[in-house]
Amino acid sequence: MKTRNLILTAILTAFALVAFTIEAAIPPLTPIYGIKLGIANVFTLFALYALGTRYAAALLFLRIVLGSIFTGQTVAFIYSLTGGLLSFVLMVLLKRFFPLKQIWVLSALCAVTHNIGQLLAAVFMTSTVQIVCYLPVLLISGIISGAFTGLCAQLVYIRLKKWLENHLN
Amino acid sequence: MKTRVWIIILSLAVLVCAVWWMLVSTPSYPSKIVGIYQNGSLVEKIDLNSVTGEREITLSGKFGKNTIFISHGHIEMKSAECPDKICVKHGALESSGTPIVCLPNKVVIKFESSSDGADAKTGAV
Repeated sequence: MKTRNLILTAILTAFALVAFTIEAAIPPLTPIYGIKLGIANVFTLFALYALGTRYAAALLFLRIVLGSIFTGQTVAFIYSLTGGLLSFVLMVLLKRFFPLKQIWVLSALCAVTHNIGQLLAAVFMTSTVQIVCYLPVLLISGIISGAFTGLCAQLVYIRLKKWLENHLN
Repeated sequence: MKTRVWIIILSLAVLVCAVWWMLVSTPSYPSKIVGIYQNGSLVEKIDLNSVTGEREITLSGKFGKNTIFISHGHIEMKSAECPDKICVKHGALESSGTPIVCLPNKVVIKFESSSDGADAKTGAV
């Protein structure tokens, strides 16, 4: 574990937390829980490409735990964790199939998985199967927001790739 | 796979989901089930949407009689023999408004929470 990698992970975690907290403060656009941009995902994706699986996993876990504490949404913690872990596993597994110019596709798929995981957790927690009728909306929002955050991560990573390769490792 | 292929796949997925959502969320008629209570116990439960024609229910309490008028989608306190007649002035029961209450005779007319799970769906998550 290199100090520089560690520091970069810490900075990215702080960024992700700030993004997450600000986003949580914005009133929801729709009454349906789970539709949001998920800006914090940009940092997870970036860390996955720049630093690797272990650092990205640490970032994600810390962001979810600390984010739930900072925003005071302890119930959302379970949903976040289920969705986050599920989408992260998919992200790591599918990463090799997508070139750098298609990070946004990977991100869209992961966002969809995230929303499905969240919905399953919600079904399990509230033991009401009717919530599944929100699935199509969550899929649409997942594809759009995932593609957007993925595009952000992709553009930043492609620009910083050279610099990262010189300064890390 | 080429980026263009992915764009097509994802837009198709969005389209399919949009159609799916439209099919799922076809407007269902909101149930208008009204409960009439006296002394805190249920006297009658009526689905206002299934009422045909006109009907009157008379309840008698300490301060005389209350006459409730019911027609399709509509319920109101038609007359009361109590002193203040606040329940008559209330007019028809609105789904967004307050229940009709006759305090002297302890009569309450209010909407029952629908039992089709609509509340569970919106309130749970």
